[in-house]
Amino acid sequence: MNLDPTALAFPDASGPQVAIKEVTNTTVTFVLSNTDLALANALRRVMIAEVPTIAIDLVDFETNTTVLADEFIAHRLGLIPIESTQASSLNYRHECACVPYCAECSVEFTLNASCQSEGTMSVYSRDLISSHPSIDTYFEDPSEKGVLIAKLRKGQSLSVKAIARKGTGKEHAKWAPCTGVAFEYDPHNRLRHTTYWHEEDVKSEWPKSEKALEEPEPKDDEPFDYKAKPDRFYFTVESTGALPPTVIVVQGLEVLQRKLAEVHNSLRKIAENQGETAVPSIYMM
Amino acid sequence: MSMVEPVEDTHGFPFTEHAQKFEVIPTDAADPSSATFVVHDEDHTLGNSLRYMVMKNPAVTFCGYSIPHPSEFKIHMRIQTDGSMTAAQALDKGLDDLIALSEHVLQTFQAKVAATEDYEIRDGAHI
Ligand SMILES: [Zn+2]
Repeated sequence: MNLDPTALAFPDASGPQVAIKEVTNTTVTFVLSNTDLALANALRRVMIAEVPTIAIDLVDFETNTTVLADEFIAHRLGLIPIESTQASSLNYRHECACVPYCAECSVEFTLNASCQSEGTMSVYSRDLISSHPSIDTYFEDPSEKGVLIAKLRKGQSLSVKAIARKGTGKEHAKWAPCTGVAFEYDPHNRLRHTTYWHEEDVKSEWPKSEKALEEPEPKDDEPFDYKAKPDRFYFTVESTGALPPTVIVVQGLEVLQRKLAEVHNSLRKIAENQGETAVPSIYMM
Repeated sequence: MSMVEPVEDTHGFPFTEHAQKFEVIPTDAADPSSATFVVHDEDHTLGNSLRYMVMKNPAVTFCGYSIPHPSEFKIHMRIQTDGSMTAAQALDKGLDDLIALSEHVLQTFQAKVAATEDYEIRDGAHI
């Protein structure tokens, strides 16, 4: 593939640009510019809904004498972030011939907790034991206990087997790798894509976005440019911990490419089946 | 021992059973310059970005997409050209261009991530 953006058939001058502002353990802030809202929004959507991660999907209760119902705990377990950089090594459930799960498509976690003392006992995601050598729940730092799952009093116990599977946010939000994607453009609302509710004066009643400093402020008497289009998009991708934030962006773009390639292949296949000659008939004028 | 699992197993929602990812509904068999393409298991993510890319082609006079029904996971994409290329060729080109465009964004993003001196790294994040 030719990576020179000027080699694109219908290029946007020099092609889209990226400026990374900040990277933390769980966030990446960047500006995507010189491109269209359609591409920026496709990237946002794909990062939320179609980048695969691993999450607990099936919970087998051996014992649950806590005050919390089985399905309540199962739901909480589902939301625990699991380190998913190796998600590509697992099959999706629908790709696997097994019933109901196997090592190719799942990771088994066990949790055994029983409170023997007078005080309240807290059960954390640290107490979930993975059967996989390298796939485990996510911890921001190695000493932390992780996510609080349940609290037990004396005599109560909780014993479960939890099956984690690969999935995407479009099936269930627990598989979304981001807690959120901040997406902003046109901080001065030059394009009038939004209307600010106000009593007397928009300017005095609405605080400016911090992104407002990045773009020139319109003059009060500036005429409305009805042909203008947004071309600078301010992103902040916040990760659940399942994937490093920059990896979410990279995998999002890869997923988008794979989707397009799949459609492309199907189009070509149809064209090949139709054409008796070298030139497929749906391609012929 | 109890199992907590969805009552109705959808076997990997949202993938529906259909023979092909893609279908062509020609408007007029004699006129390949306009057609409606049905893409299964896709939504606004692919629909709107592809619509934008196909529209960039000066030979395309119309490109629009719709999600005909919210409970059917598919999109309809309608393309009409000025006759200098077929609708299928315009779609093919749009797909090629969009793949190249996202590849460019991907390469640019990775290059910028590698240039660690150009941005702030906080909380001891590993790059
Ligand atoms: Zn399996």
